[in-house]
Amino acid sequence: MMMRSRHARTGAAVLAALALLQEAPAGMVAAEEEIAGENIVSKEEVAALRREIRALRDQIRALQARVEALAPAAAPQAPPAAPGAAPEVPGASPTAPTPAVPRPAQSPNLLNPAISGVFQLVGNSSLRSRRESDGFSLSEGEIVLEAAADPYAKVNIVVTIPAGESPDFEEAYVTTLSLPHSLQLKGGRFRSALGRWNPLHEHAFFTVDLPNVLRNFLGENLRGDGFSLSALVPNPADLFIESVTEVASTGNEVAFNSRRSDPLFLERLRVFIPASPDASLEAGITGIYGNGGATEKLLQDIEQFGPILEPRRGLASSLQGIDLTYKWKPLTVNTLRSFTWQTEFLRSRRRLEVLRLPALELATARAWGAYTYAEYQFRKRWRIGTRLDYSELPDDPDAIERAGSVVLRFQPSEFQEIRFQYKRTGRNDPAAARFDGRASDDEIFIQWIPTIGVHAAHKF
Amino acid sequence: MTTPRSRMPVILPRLIALIVALGGLQQGTILAREGRVRVVASLPNLGAIASAVGGDRIELTTIAVGTQDAHFVDPKPSYMVRLRNADLLLVNGLDLEIGWIPPITQGARNARILQGAQGYIDCSAGIPVVEIPAVLSRAEGDVHPYGNPHYLTDPLNAETVAGTIAEALKRADPASAPLYEDARRAFVRRLHEAVFGKDLVDLAGGAKLAREAAAGTLDAFLDGTAIGGAPLRARLGGWMGRMQAVRGKPIITYHRDYSYFAARFGIAVVDYVEPKPGIQPSAKHLEEIVARLKRGDARVIVTRPFVEHRSTDLLAVRTGAEVLTLPLEVAGAPEATDYFRLFDYVTDRLVEAFSESARAGAR
Repeated sequence: MMMRSRHARTGAAVLAALALLQEAPAGMVAAEEEIAGENIVSKEEVAALRREIRALRDQIRALQARVEALAPAAAPQAPPAAPGAAPEVPGASPTAPTPAVPRPAQSPNLLNPAISGVFQLVGNSSLRSRRESDGFSLSEGEIVLEAAADPYAKVNIVVTIPAGESPDFEEAYVTTLSLPHSLQLKGGRFRSALGRWNPLHEHAFFTVDLPNVLRNFLGENLRGDGFSLSALVPNPADLFIESVTEVASTGNEVAFNSRRSDPLFLERLRVFIPASPDASLEAGITGIYGNGGATEKLLQDIEQFGPILEPRRGLASSLQGIDLTYKWKPLTVNTLRSFTWQTEFLRSRRRLEVLRLPALELATARAWGAYTYAEYQFRKRWRIGTRLDYSELPDDPDAIERAGSVVLRFQPSEFQEIRFQYKRTGRNDPAAARFDGRASDDEIFIQWIPTIGVHAAHKF
Repeated sequence: MTTPRSRMPVILPRLIALIVALGGLQQGTILAREGRVRVVASLPNLGAIASAVGGDRIELTTIAVGTQDAHFVDPKPSYMVRLRNADLLLVNGLDLEIGWIPPITQGARNARILQGAQGYIDCSAGIPVVEIPAVLSRAEGDVHPYGNPHYLTDPLNAETVAGTIAEALKRADPASAPLYEDARRAFVRRLHEAVFGKDLVDLAGGAKLAREAAAGTLDAFLDGTAIGGAPLRARLGGWMGRMQAVRGKPIITYHRDYSYFAARFGIAVVDYVEPKPGIQPSAKHLEEIVARLKRGDARVIVTRPFVEHRSTDLLAVRTGAEVLTLPLEVAGAPEATDYFRLFDYVTDRLVEAFSESARAGAR
């Protein structure tokens, strides 16, 4: 038994050597032709080469004879196995060294979507006084699945698991890949294309918390179930100009109402200007039109004074946004140094009802808010940023919040991030009345975001 | 006055009709209309090879620049515009561009160059890939599941890539197929002469030499074959001839990006400044490298224009090691104007560094 396997091993080694040598004659003939054709070497040299070839041929014949004598059984196995064919039986017969070509694994999971997972541990505390919301929480976990459905479409699914709640589809949409005329159609549930921050998931934020204007105007974020059609707009300067049109039913009760039959209409236009190889400017405008319902303030008033009154729901509500982003990322050291400055303005116009006993009266509330965020990356793994917030409350323009934050972001690798943030907030009296009478606040945040799974695409 | 609710039934059918109408148009893509083939290369090395094979039959755009880190190119929307009308997209593959090619191809809305389509050309096809990880875990750093993607640091792999690109161009533009084939042959001939020296290629044939090199038997062939009493090795010129002077010499590289180069030219990469791919060196790891350098395990460190230089500066100051910042891609240094000049420059610098470090060692 031992002897046989040793013979077989020797046989394989000889076979491998043979395989290498068999290349020689053809190559040598080619060499001879070239030599004869270009006539640059002496006859002696040609003769020397011929002798060399003869010697090699003899050597091959001798080796061939030895192989046949040694391992008659191994010979039929010499041709390389087709990829993925014939599973190896341990110890049965040694195989000649195969080239390192990646072979598909034999797994029924091969066509499963790319999977990744992320969660955020958030710690938040007021430095002034204890609040209900202070403490640590695993604010949210996400499972992200992504794959091509077929040659025509791609599917993205983001399942979110908010702490203490049941899992839900944060986003789930199908995107076409092959519509003509630079069109792309998206269908399903997705974040509305409102500016640059709203489409981001929490782990991709710059700071731990949302800018005040987005929290006040949208609640957590604005998303809907519906369709989105986007197109690249041809233009003589060959700039990236994208138009996005969305129609979606939203569950957002803050800016709109959650009736399915009251959809949102969104139009966004954005342009990307590569100012230089290192710097770029992006500008966008967005308009969203839908219907709102009773405001939080009205519901409170009704509860207090007139429970028999029924507020209307089909009142026009709209949002308009402008966003501007400047990025400096020097090409050669783009992983080491960068600067980003991003600003968004948001304006809200809502028809709303106010309680003027004994009836409800129609009114219009116009409010606006903005944030501006600047960030400098000073080391490969370190960034420091600052954000300024201004926000009126969309149902009460007299209520004003102002805030300033400093954030330090540390990314040990592409797959982990730790953020520290200090935030100071000031509110005028009407705003303070809406926030438990807190006219100002100092807060600290810490957030740890690990990611696992496939390599996620970068964002720009 | 119409309310949004009454608008809804009007808009939805129109939207659906539009989508259905467009869906009917999605079949049938046209490769290479009259005129030139529009080729986009992800990286400068691929662009340089495509330019050699395609000549003026192609309209070439290259996305990354030579001094950039190919792993971390930013997927700028402006690149989507460049890809919108492309007939062919050449990528390095092996997941090197995983962070940026997928978002820009999808954003480009061009079905011809999506992964899996005929115009998506993965240039790693047919390359004997090394360092395929046995264990796939991010605990090993930012690993490449399909193996080391820096295969164009071995110039002989450019022959395979030129073949892949020529085939793609012939498919896209069959009328010019003979031109592409001629250009490919000329490129390969020039490549073999650059690698082995014209003298040796004339004598033994470039294809034969490349085959021996690929099989790892070039040394045996050069030493075992004599012409006029002298072994063929005496005729070895080009980059391999030049690198004879530093064969077997140890180097330390910043990232694991010189494996193919080292194997081809017979130098030994004994350590990496990065402890694991994509992981920045810790003080402890740098101390270990300082100790190795002081023991004399290596005297030359190869780094890249796009990585941090603090670690290598520190190693140079602490140990007197020679630090070379070498380009990986065409135009990664002003001298590296094409794929041939890239290797001219790199081999020159390496040979020079070793002779300098030998002089320093002798002092």
